[in-house]
Amino acid sequence: MTWLSTLVVFLVSAQPAPCLSQALPRHALSRVATGQADARLPAPDRRAPTNPSTAQPVSQGAPNARLIPDVSLVGDLIADLSPNGATQEDGTRLGVREIELALQAAVDPSFRGDVFIGFSDAEGVGIEQAFMTATSLPWQLEMRLGRFLAPVGKQNITHRHDLHTVDHALITQRVLGEEGLKGTGVWLGRIFAPFGFYQELIVTATERLGEAPEDLVTAEPTSRDLGDLAYSARLRNYWDLSNASNVEVSGSVLTGLRERPAVQPQGDINAVAMRQTTYGADVTFRWRPPQQGLYRSFILQAEYLAQLNEGGVFGLPEGPVEPTVLADVAGYYIFGRYQVSRRGYLGARFDTLDDPEFDGERTTAWSAYYQFYPSEFSKIITKFERVSPTGLTAFNRFVLQATFALGPHKPHPF
Amino acid sequence: MVSPMNITNITRRFALGATALGIVSLAATTAAAQLRVVTSTTDLYDIARSVGGDRITAAHIGEGYEDPHFVQPKPSFILKLRNADVWAYVGLDLELGWMPLLLNGARNQRINAGAPGHINVSTVIPVLDANQAVDRSQGDVHPLGNPHYWLDPENARRIAALFRDRLSQLDPENAAVYSANHDVWVARLAAAAQAWQSDLDTMKDKPVVAWHTSWRYFAAYTGLRIVGFMEPKPGVPPSASHLAGLIATIKQTGAKVIIMEPFYDRRTADKVARETGATVIVVPPSVGGTKDVGDYIALMRHDIGMVAAAVR
Repeated sequence: MTWLSTLVVFLVSAQPAPCLSQALPRHALSRVATGQADARLPAPDRRAPTNPSTAQPVSQGAPNARLIPDVSLVGDLIADLSPNGATQEDGTRLGVREIELALQAAVDPSFRGDVFIGFSDAEGVGIEQAFMTATSLPWQLEMRLGRFLAPVGKQNITHRHDLHTVDHALITQRVLGEEGLKGTGVWLGRIFAPFGFYQELIVTATERLGEAPEDLVTAEPTSRDLGDLAYSARLRNYWDLSNASNVEVSGSVLTGLRERPAVQPQGDINAVAMRQTTYGADVTFRWRPPQQGLYRSFILQAEYLAQLNEGGVFGLPEGPVEPTVLADVAGYYIFGRYQVSRRGYLGARFDTLDDPEFDGERTTAWSAYYQFYPSEFSKIITKFERVSPTGLTAFNRFVLQATFALGPHKPHPF
Repeated sequence: MVSPMNITNITRRFALGATALGIVSLAATTAAAQLRVVTSTTDLYDIARSVGGDRITAAHIGEGYEDPHFVQPKPSFILKLRNADVWAYVGLDLELGWMPLLLNGARNQRINAGAPGHINVSTVIPVLDANQAVDRSQGDVHPLGNPHYWLDPENARRIAALFRDRLSQLDPENAAVYSANHDVWVARLAAAAQAWQSDLDTMKDKPVVAWHTSWRYFAAYTGLRIVGFMEPKPGVPPSASHLAGLIATIKQTGAKVIIMEPFYDRRTADKVARETGATVIVVPPSVGGTKDVGDYIALMRHDIGMVAAAVR
């Protein structure tokens, strides 16, 4: 756990002092003082604050003379109490699934930088995301350069610890990976509203689809030609239905090459780069009346993903190395969550898919959740899930998740 | 073949069309010349509207009956901000849970931090509860100070002056209009303050309980003495042990009123009231918090009158 102790020491040394507003710029003080001198309202005797010692004029904005970036950390803890053994990726019942360290700041007048580093017992240290965002492009374009969560489908753009459920939906896990799909490359986004409602188009070009497998070697790199990079596009459409409710309907497509094991390896070449294309459609309905929003809200979300593999609908390529056949995958989930109190939420999800983990047979799953938020900075989720693969015995999962956040207040995910 | 008459008609129609087009363009230019101001709260919206008059268009993100800490960062708000010339917000981390998503999403350089159209209103406010060593064990605290400052009319006057100055900076041609509008509004506020003077006399040093620390500035202005909060710590719902202590405090101090905002669940406050004989009053903290508080001066008149009647 050396990395963890190093991390703690770094965080402690990097945190700014709590009394951030003590060192005030003089011009700010004089500006406020000038405003006070022009008192025209009556009742000056009532101007005495409840605690005069704390009512000195101050300027907002923490002095950050050393330009230290925002440092924050999210801990994601898991307890797997499933009756037939642990169902976690690393096979443990009690584990630190991930510690995510975030460093965020303006780089210069033109760019902002965001770096997310993941630490886990199972996978060690990894760059989750690291991108610079151009902040002053014309035509209100957004451009990111670096590694980012691929904007494919609804769940994939949410950090796993920010999900309303413990894990991604089954179809998302099978198609995009357990922790979601990341890509390294360029992201371009633009908002427009030609029809009077919000629309956003995001396109990306990345080095490849997912992480490179260590044990598969192809004759040529999957990104040898520019046309062989991974490309994605996502169109978001959003409507306010009322002051309290809204709906978002989006579609995504992702295509690129992925290594597939060869039937007969030839020398070091044991894989063939084959095209894989994923289509997605998702819809999210939200209800949250502004006045009662602290206590009542509702989300209904559904997402469909279909992954088509070359050799399936595309036809097998001709070549000296024959790839194994990879079946297409399709499935969807429906998730609903109702807020029952200021801190409590009840949720349920239905999953169904042609599951590659069970020979492409249909798997269905029902799961129920109770979320408890002691504050905005901690969360506890209990999950019960019953998974029913076709032709196999159904099994149950019971998982507890606790997450905590340190550092600056982050925006609430929408 | 085109006859001279037809040519004349065509020329006349073209001229009429061009004139009409010119009028439409002029109107569009005039409309475009209005500064587009978007504010985070309805209170800033109303003051900006009062100072800007017909030289600006104004819109707000949060509603007056909504907890300003927890506004949903809806994409439709991004559309409002996308073309704004001015973004004015309370600051002191009040909007930290949603403002960054909207500003990043809007990609509007005119209102990004550092731009003339980016107005952090708290910079002209003498802030309460600042300069304190805090951490999250003390609840959802604001390290830079208490952000609910608009409930002191003296601060509202500072806000108006700030809008006058910044709008004049962004639109110098209309500086005289902004200055005149500002003076009219400040005079209206002063006249209203004279009218509620007797209510302030009634409220002076009266013990009350508030739900959240949002009433600290209101108390400082009115002279109310807040003897306890329903929340044990900012943003933390009341616990049974805290309520037991609060009930004892109310009985000890003789507080007769529990002040709360319309977006909290009043059942807990009612329970405390039943135990102590205090009265629960739901007081709008912002413009539009109830139907009868359509502007800032009406809000202060309403709130002061309501609390004064309750503590009398």
